[in-house]
Amino acid sequence: MTPPSDHDDPSLLVHAYLDGELDPAHALEVERRLAADPALAAERDRVEALRGAIRDRLPREAPSPDFMRRIEAIGGSAPASPHSVTHAASQPSWRALAASVLLAAFLGSGATWFVLHPGPAETTADLVLANHLRALMAPQPIDVASSDHHTVKPWFNGRIPEAPRVVDLASEGFPLVGGRIDVIGRVPVPTLVYRRRQHLISLTALPAQVAASLAAGPRTIAGYNTLSWTDNGLAYWAVSDVAAADLDAFEKAFREATP
Amino acid sequence: MESQGSGQEDDQARFRSVVLPHLADAYTLARWLTGNRTDAEDVVQEACLRAFRGIRGFAGVNARAWLLTIVRNAAFSWLGKNRPAALVMVDDLEAVEQRQAGGSAMEPDAGPEASLIAKVDAAQLEKAIAELPVPFRETLVLREVAGLDYREIAEATKVPIGTVMSRLARARQRLIAKIGMSEPGTNEP
Repeated sequence: MTPPSDHDDPSLLVHAYLDGELDPAHALEVERRLAADPALAAERDRVEALRGAIRDRLPREAPSPDFMRRIEAIGGSAPASPHSVTHAASQPSWRALAASVLLAAFLGSGATWFVLHPGPAETTADLVLANHLRALMAPQPIDVASSDHHTVKPWFNGRIPEAPRVVDLASEGFPLVGGRIDVIGRVPVPTLVYRRRQHLISLTALPAQVAASLAAGPRTIAGYNTLSWTDNGLAYWAVSDVAAADLDAFEKAFREATP
Repeated sequence: MESQGSGQEDDQARFRSVVLPHLADAYTLARWLTGNRTDAEDVVQEACLRAFRGIRGFAGVNARAWLLTIVRNAAFSWLGKNRPAALVMVDDLEAVEQRQAGGSAMEPDAGPEASLIAKVDAAQLEKAIAELPVPFRETLVLREVAGLDYREIAEATKVPIGTVMSRLARARQRLIAKIGMSEPGTNEP
C-alpha cells in the first residue's frame, strides 16, 4: 500500500514494512533507512522478536468439541447427496487418516476439524476448494515457496510420481508463488499456487483417471470460482476467489505458456 | 437447473463451506476480545447465527474476513452489554490518537533488547496482550493471530488503513515496553 502522508514516520513504516504492506518503492525506502539508522534497525529487531514470540509461544486455545458441534448444527447435518455415497462421507475415518498423514504439516486444530468433516458433495470442485481453503488457513499456503519454476518443479520430483508442468506467468499478471501436495480422491497430486494481485489461485493437476472417478461439480461454490480443462492426460483444476474472467485469463495464459 | 426451492439446504451448505473453516479464528478473536472461554463461545455462537441469517449476503470475496467482521461486531455488542468500561476507552483513545496524529510522530526510542523480547514467556505475553485497550488488542489479534492484512482489518474494524497501521504499531510498542519493564534488572532508570 501507499501509506497516507501524515503517517510516514519511519517507525510506523517499519511495521508496515514487516507486515508486507508497503509497495516496492516504499519498501526500498524503508530498507535504505534501516541500513542507515541503527535505532530504527533495533526497532525492527524488537518488532520481529515480538512477532516471533506471538507466533511461536502464544497458546492457541481450541474451541471445545461440544461447542463445535453446536455451531455445526446451525449448518444442519450433512444431507446425503448422490456424489457422496461412494466417497468420503461413507468412510470418513479412512479419509481423515490419509489426509492427516499427508498434510500433517498443514494442520492446526481448526484445519483438522475441517478435514474430519468433509462437506456433503464430494465433487472435484469441492475437493480442490477444500484443499485451497485448508491451504489458506495454514501459516503458508504452499510447501515450497518460490517464484522460480526451476525450483518448484524439482521439488515435486520424488514426492509424487510425476512432476507437473510448471511455468511462471508473472508477465501475464499471475506470478508463481510456489507449490504444494494436495489430496484428491485419496491420491496425492501437485498443486501450483499463483497470485493475482492480492488473491491466490490454486492450480491442481489430476491424473485423468482420478478426475474421471469424480463428478466435476459446480463452477462456483460459496463465492469461489473453479475452472477445469484437460491437457495431455491431465485434468487441471483452478480455484480462487478472483473473478471468473480472471480465471479464464489464467487458463489461457497457462495453456499458452512454454516451460 | 436447480430450483430455488431448497433454499434452507443451500444456506446450510453455504454456511458449512463459508463459516465452518474459519471457526477456530473466530473463536480466537472472540476469546481475546471477551477474555474468557464461556463468553467467547457465546459471542461466536451469536455471530454464527447472524452469519447464517446473512449467508446470502456474503459477496464471496473473503470468507474469513467476512466472518471475523461479524464476530467482531457481536463481540462489541457483548462488550457494550457486559463490559461498557472497555468501550468507553475506545472514544478516549480515538481522541488521543487524533491529537497525536496532528503532533509529532512517535520516536523509535531506546527499547529493550530484541533478544529479551524473544525470550518472553507465554504467560507474560498473554497478560500483556490482555491488558491492551480493546482497539489495539483487536487490531493486533486480527493481524498477528488471524493473519488479516491491513485492508481487511480496516474493513472489519471500520477505520481507515492509516489508523490500522498506527494502532498496530502502538499495540506492538506497548507490548515491547511492557515486556521490557517486567524483566527485573533490565529496565532503564
